[in-house]
Amino acid sequence: MKRKISKLTALLIVVSMLVSLTGLVLLTGCSDDGDAILVGVILPLSGSEAAYGTDMLNSYKLAVEEINAAGGVKIGAGETRSLKLYEQDDGADANMATQAAAKITSRGVDFVVGGYASGAIIPTLQQFYDEDLLLLISAANSTNITRAGFNQSFMINSPGSFAVVTLMELLKSLGSQRVALIHQGDDYTKNLSDMCSEELPKNGFEVVTVEVMEKGAADVSAIVTAIRSSNADFVYWCGYHSDGSNVIKQLRRGGYEGHIAVGDGSADPDLIEACGEDGEGVYVTSPPYVKLAGEKGAKFFNDYSAKYNREPGNYATLAYDTIYLLKAAIESAASTETAAVRGAVQDISFPGLSGNISFTPDREMAVSNFMILQIKDGDFTLIEP
Amino acid sequence: MSLWELILQQTVNGLILGSFYALIALGYSMVYGIIKLLNFAHGDIYMTGAFACLSVFGVLSVIIPGVAGIILSVLAAMVIAAVLGYLAQRFAYGPLLGAPRLSLLITAIGVSLVISNSVMVITNSQPLFFPGVIDNSAGINIGGITVTYIQIILITVSASLMLALTLFIGRTMTGKAMRAISLDKDTCRLMGINVNKIIGLTFIIGSSLAAIAGGLACVYYGNVQFSMGYTIGIKAFTAAVIGGIGSIPGAMLGGLLLGLLEAVGTQFLGSQWKDVFAFGLLIIILILRPNGLLGKSEIERM
Repeated sequence: MKRKISKLTALLIVVSMLVSLTGLVLLTGCSDDGDAILVGVILPLSGSEAAYGTDMLNSYKLAVEEINAAGGVKIGAGETRSLKLYEQDDGADANMATQAAAKITSRGVDFVVGGYASGAIIPTLQQFYDEDLLLLISAANSTNITRAGFNQSFMINSPGSFAVVTLMELLKSLGSQRVALIHQGDDYTKNLSDMCSEELPKNGFEVVTVEVMEKGAADVSAIVTAIRSSNADFVYWCGYHSDGSNVIKQLRRGGYEGHIAVGDGSADPDLIEACGEDGEGVYVTSPPYVKLAGEKGAKFFNDYSAKYNREPGNYATLAYDTIYLLKAAIESAASTETAAVRGAVQDISFPGLSGNISFTPDREMAVSNFMILQIKDGDFTLIEP
Repeated sequence: MSLWELILQQTVNGLILGSFYALIALGYSMVYGIIKLLNFAHGDIYMTGAFACLSVFGVLSVIIPGVAGIILSVLAAMVIAAVLGYLAQRFAYGPLLGAPRLSLLITAIGVSLVISNSVMVITNSQPLFFPGVIDNSAGINIGGITVTYIQIILITVSASLMLALTLFIGRTMTGKAMRAISLDKDTCRLMGINVNKIIGLTFIIGSSLAAIAGGLACVYYGNVQFSMGYTIGIKAFTAAVIGGIGSIPGAMLGGLLLGLLEAVGTQFLGSQWKDVFAFGLLIIILILRPNGLLGKSEIERM
């Protein structure tokens, strides 16, 4: 037994030596970046959220290639520098994220972009702040990020409270008064429902009932009957798209004839397929949907699809805008110093694919980028309330 | 909606949901009755049945579309689930029949995880959708509410299955053998009953019933995901216990009762409270009748 342990210890020592040696080689071997502006990327590239993270990374890469092909970023008179990405996997997990952030800061990057899961990006804010690095967060949108008070982190996505503002615009235009909310009891969906319960009554709407649907429960007919008996004329589904189709179908089959809207958790083309005919007319308070972003959006959509052989997902647009916004800020500051670029981002008014981007003093989006879509003829259509 | 219509509508909702619970609860109850195993993989057999029905219909609908295709797909799902149930019994539970019951229980949890995670990997955790072949709105008017034809079919199918099973257990030789095994396995062996064969048959019947429930759910609700067996499995298990585990009529009664309690709870207390309401009442039932509504009290003979 004793010999076994000592063998194991010896093995461990050898392995750890090898690991640190390769680490050293990697560190010294990679220090040559030329004079490119190095941008750290922190995204979930593995685990359950990997599809979204990869989608955003693809967008970053596309934007960087376009910028470099067009001559790079112009800094002051005559000086241009190319962009280079250095990506690390945060696994949408707080622990992995702090390790990823440590790798990014030790690599000596100039700026950091990324951020999908709020819970993963929040613990890294201090690390980036300590290294005086500007952080542009593309997708994560919990107000806890900006309220943590690190003044060099900006959110390019509208916080969830803006979804409620967009929802109220829709309610007003439809003349709906009596709203039923359905959530799924977890952090994100309950938070959205709670924000609605709080804000709607202040603005003259009535929340007639709040229902909870367990994740994966197939039968919601009892909830449908309860909603019908509450005389709601508007149902807002705060949950995810995998269960959303069930709710919509059963609402319609159960004889509910009022309006139905779904939140950004259900803003997915799969919802249309799943609902079939029952989905027609359903509204979505959606993050910027690239297909509807005009000519520039169509170009991005085609370039992305051609390069990666798939359609850009929900957050690809925001990621693409992030890189171009960074370029615009560097050019306007005529410097790559954090303080100067930070000031430029704070004052920026940038026409992105996802709409005009400018920031409040709290470093949140000044104008909501949520849009209202409606399912018409089996596709999302933009609605101007 | 008037109060009368409301109560009637919630009763229909409860009966439909309860029929699904009951169909799954039958499998729990049969298996428990015969080898005293809580087969936690049963909910996943239901899920597999739903996936099998969806996949088979996807291929079959090219040749045989419409209702005939659906019926054949449900039958195919029954066969697939029966094979899966039998394999689980043969290779996972069978060798452990002499082992402590706790080992068997842990094995059942293992089988459940193996099935659900396999489907998760195969489907990439994405939900799948059944094409809208069935007209879900046509129906008849009863007392001011509409009951659709598919709902009537659902209730009829599950009621006749339950009746058939009751007759099978009560009136046939195989049924008699099943009841005998649940009383005393060893004596049955001495009497020349092929115990292993009967146990295998129990799994096959239970799994087929779960697959019918899965197939019907797939057609009726229209979407299928790997996690769909978990919650309904727990609920059906509860239904089996309330009715008196081991008792076939008890499983039906428990399933329908649970479905109705949930519907009533949702209407009058709100959906956040429906489980608290339903399970609270069930606890009271168990306090008053520890063996369930139709369960027989066991007398341990030394």
